[in-house]
Amino acid sequence: MSDAMGRGEVAAADLPVAPGLGAGGEGGSGRPGRETLRLFVRNKAAVAGVVMLIGIVFMTVAGPRIYDNDPKDIVAIPLTGPGELAEARLGTDYLGRDVLAGVIGGGTTSMTVAAMAAAMVLVIGISIGALAGYYGGWLDSALMRFTEFFQVLPALLFAMVLVALFEPSMWTISFAIGVVAWPGIARITRAEFLRLKNLEFVRAARAVGATDWRIIRKVVFPNALPPLIVSATLIMGTAILFEAGLAFLGLGDPNTTSWGLMIGLNRGNFLTAWWSVTFPGLAIFFTVLSFSLIGDGLQDAYNPKLRGR
Amino acid sequence: MRTTTTRGRQRSFGRLLIALLAVFALIAAACSSDDDGDDAAPATTAAADSGGDAGDDMADDGDMADDDMADGDMADDDMSDDSGDMDDDMADDMAAAACNHGQNVGGTLIIGSTQVPRHLNGTVQSGYATAVPGTQLNASPLLYDAEYNPMPYLAESWEVADDGLAVTLHLVEDAVFHDGMPITSADVAFSIQTVQAHHPFKTMYAPVTTVDTPDEHTAVINLSQPHPAILLAMSPGLLPIIPKHVFDDGQEMPTHPRNSEDFVGSGPFRLTEYEPGTIIRMERFDDFFIEGTPCLDEIVMEITPESTAIVLGLENGTTHLSSTLGPSANVLRLMDNPDVEVSAKGHEAIGQINWLEMNVNDPALSDKRVRQAIAYAIDRDFLSEVIDQGITFPVPTGIAAASPFHNPNVNHYDKDIDRAKALLAEAGYGPGELQLSIDYIPPAFVVQAEYVQQQLEEAGIEVELSVSPDFPTWAQRVAAGEYQMTINQVWNWGDPVIGVHRTYLCDNRVGVIWTNNTGYCNPDVDALLNAAGQEFDIDKRAELYAEFQEIVAEDMPIFFLNTPSFWQAYNPAVMNPPTNNIWGQMSPMHEVWLDE
Repeated sequence: MSDAMGRGEVAAADLPVAPGLGAGGEGGSGRPGRETLRLFVRNKAAVAGVVMLIGIVFMTVAGPRIYDNDPKDIVAIPLTGPGELAEARLGTDYLGRDVLAGVIGGGTTSMTVAAMAAAMVLVIGISIGALAGYYGGWLDSALMRFTEFFQVLPALLFAMVLVALFEPSMWTISFAIGVVAWPGIARITRAEFLRLKNLEFVRAARAVGATDWRIIRKVVFPNALPPLIVSATLIMGTAILFEAGLAFLGLGDPNTTSWGLMIGLNRGNFLTAWWSVTFPGLAIFFTVLSFSLIGDGLQDAYNPKLRGR
Repeated sequence: MRTTTTRGRQRSFGRLLIALLAVFALIAAACSSDDDGDDAAPATTAAADSGGDAGDDMADDGDMADDDMADGDMADDDMSDDSGDMDDDMADDMAAAACNHGQNVGGTLIIGSTQVPRHLNGTVQSGYATAVPGTQLNASPLLYDAEYNPMPYLAESWEVADDGLAVTLHLVEDAVFHDGMPITSADVAFSIQTVQAHHPFKTMYAPVTTVDTPDEHTAVINLSQPHPAILLAMSPGLLPIIPKHVFDDGQEMPTHPRNSEDFVGSGPFRLTEYEPGTIIRMERFDDFFIEGTPCLDEIVMEITPESTAIVLGLENGTTHLSSTLGPSANVLRLMDNPDVEVSAKGHEAIGQINWLEMNVNDPALSDKRVRQAIAYAIDRDFLSEVIDQGITFPVPTGIAAASPFHNPNVNHYDKDIDRAKALLAEAGYGPGELQLSIDYIPPAFVVQAEYVQQQLEEAGIEVELSVSPDFPTWAQRVAAGEYQMTINQVWNWGDPVIGVHRTYLCDNRVGVIWTNNTGYCNPDVDALLNAAGQEFDIDKRAELYAEFQEIVAEDMPIFFLNTPSFWQAYNPAVMNPPTNNIWGQMSPMHEVWLDE
């Protein structure tokens, strides 16, 4: 438990707010919320991550409108280097498709898959973790054995099996990543619930007669959020890497463009056409890096031991 | 040990968990090994796995399903082949000349390959992986030069009966197996019967009724109908002569232990070391029946899943010869290297063709105009010349360009988008109204599939790409006709009777991959093919095949894309490299020597 002390103190700091059942769900957004934001903004690396992420999201959302090359169109001679052509600034791939359009269009796929997978991870992980942690007993044992079963499976292999069973598409890939990545979230949620459920404000809520559902939703969950937010951020990065890994191994959705698919399809030409692999690779690198920086920043900001530094 | 305590229960639960995991691990391992095959070696399409799954010839066609290799006219001039029009007597002279008149006997040839054979007995296993070592270990009745001319090998002469119903082989008299036992007509008869019973290419020996052995060195093959393909079917890779006294022991041939262990062959080299998937070491057989050969002391095949490793080996001189070079970028890179020779010659008989196959039973594709529109929409020249950078060669028909039966004068369907759109409109499809899908297996056919998709969308056809995770899934789907279009690679295998007829005959729709998977049926085509299959006169035969090719081009069940090639790369020190015959490395290398 000494390891959990840090988080315990977060809860302590939140105490004055959390017990206010009427204010339900406001757990993290009172004075400590503002304090967290102040700490986060002071963290230069985290701010850099946010700026990077905003840039990437802007590129993937607004990019296709501004830069209207279709990533699937053959626009020029294959394997032309970057800077040689006005219609393909970052060069062309083995079919003569525009690498820049691919990086922009591929971002949409990668981010969508990552977001869907992360959402799935959170839904499964939090549900199972919350039930196990709150009720304990045989339900806890059953759910945790179930979680362990998924935890010990080699994640990428398992995801490959799932995608291979169904046909590779954005949905099956998101599903596969979601199915393999949730145990971590479930365990964190369970740990938080175990710790929180016997604290005074929760017992107070129970004494007032709140139902289990209401206690889980309005009392315990908001206080378990900080570590979950950090994990969710990191899950986004992991999901992008998973998607890239699957696509690299030939299990990407062939009807979309994604960064991993671009790398996987072009890797045979790496020695002669570095640009067709390097630019999508950089895109993955900066995206995952931005999520990691944000996640680290949030963790530090939520950690009261660092407050006042 | 079993207690009813909590700990005991936990332990048994743990065992259950471990058991479940083991099951899962097995599944995962099975799946991942498929993927390894596909990914690690672009030149391989799950070859080793597919061999048994499909249970027919196709299994091995896929061995070299490398889209990036080409064939044909990019001949290397420095490779003069001294074969050609020589007669029987000259064969011995040439053999003597082969090792530089005996000056260069010795040396070890290192061959790099990504191809993993299941075993080494070519009478029951088709495919390149088995044939390359198999033809070094076993001799066949005939050899072939670069012009499709049969040449004496184990048979020093042969005659075809006037009615075409019998072929008589006269065997070399002093030939012996690696264990010292003489090679007799009984072994030839046994080998033919084995191939007839177990080899996936059923058409090769289907018309053979009996094999008579009037004496130890004469074998008479009796046929139920004229069957010109039988001469090519006696090539090294297709009819290895195996020892009857070793194999005729009642054991099942396809799983016979002597297919890879304690191997007794009839060829120029004998097996000394065989680590499946790693190394095949073959040593000079001193009593080989062609005097003065083999030139080499040893041939070592180093097998690796990585074509990149082979390319590096060729570059630094540790590998002498390879035909599994991987993607086109590797071939182009080796071409730029003055220390490595690269040639498209050799392997002409394989006649591998990449094509777009259309399911004519599909409601939309059953309309000939739709299929022709698809053909007009695709620019196969651009695919070969620009995208494949000249490493593949466009081919307009299903008989490969290097075959004597190739007809270059069929409709090429040069790209014409307006015509394609007009044909689609006639068939009742406006722009965007026709949706089709292409099934394929990555990574081998990604380029073709993506290119066809892009081209068809230009003509207003929406195309969905549908990836099969592994070879068996794809093969099953295509064989069952549960597809609209697919990218496929099929091999001619020398004679059209072996590798071409199977794709078009009405009654060959048998639910197996690399048979008639399009559902195409045209009685005129059947009649032409059946007539051509029995015609010994090569000119008359060529006419029949020419007409067949014109009809298929008009009916368009298949749009032929290009011929990839077994580009061979070799060290300049390799003399008489296997670029001088239609079977390439699937032919004995007894005349290869090293100029070191």
